[in-house]
Amino acid sequence: MTKSGEEQELKERLRLIESMIAEGRRSHERWGWVYVLWGVANCTAIIWTALAHFPYAWPITMITAAVLTAVLAVRKTAHRPSTTLGRAVSSIWITLGVSMMLLFPALGISGRIDEYIQISVASAMLGMAYAASAILLRWKAQFACALIWWGSSVFACFGKGTPVAVVYLSAIFFCMIVFGVYGMISDWRARKQEAVHA
Amino acid sequence: MPELPELNPVIHGKLRLALLSLLSGIEEAEFTWLRAKTGSTDGNLGAQLLKLEEAGYVAVEKKFVQRKPQTLYRMTEAGREALTEYVQALRQLLGGAIGS
Repeated sequence: MTKSGEEQELKERLRLIESMIAEGRRSHERWGWVYVLWGVANCTAIIWTALAHFPYAWPITMITAAVLTAVLAVRKTAHRPSTTLGRAVSSIWITLGVSMMLLFPALGISGRIDEYIQISVASAMLGMAYAASAILLRWKAQFACALIWWGSSVFACFGKGTPVAVVYLSAIFFCMIVFGVYGMISDWRARKQEAVHA
Repeated sequence: MPELPELNPVIHGKLRLALLSLLSGIEEAEFTWLRAKTGSTDGNLGAQLLKLEEAGYVAVEKKFVQRKPQTLYRMTEAGREALTEYVQALRQLLGGAIGS
């Protein structure tokens, strides 16, 4: 083989390494749908409680959303490789989910909570999870959502009545539903681009 | 003049190099996923993975998930070191030709 032929082959090897490493890292699952699902679940629970005064609206919607998330996540991640980044991000959301599922029913049953504290604590916890995930993924849009959650948390400490509910519902709408749809569109675009490059 | 490094023959094979590179970016992967990503046949993929396993570059774990057999592969520390050395050797051999 000529010197330039050998050089070309070695360069090809280097390109192969780079493309395969990138391919492995790209193999994370897309999660935009989870934000939309939980956004819709939260809105459903709030509206259901406000209109029908049904005491089990929250438990029913939250348990349904949790079961749906678990079933869909297992189906979507089957046969996909695990990455350290993927495990780090999912650990944030799993621990957040477990903490909220334990804390709020316990506070509700014990009666040691009012709606302002509930909104403030929920918003702060969500802000923390969004920010941690945003830092790991270097995702500015998600960090902007964390700021909205933290804003909602602080506002619930000082505000009163309808404005607090409006801010909280707006945070749910923008940080869960709009952000989730944006995430799904970004994933779809990225997949389209990958298909073009493949 | 410094001596040019030799390329590790176990890694130099295209499919084996692709497999090690793929595994370097993840924790572990199923046989079927590796097959899909490399586009190779079951027989060839199995043979190349066996070579990497014999060299101590990948570790294999076989288990049953919902009664279905699952074979998981992950890169070992020796594999990571070998790939790093291989890339360094490649860069040294290519010298100034990288990026041209």
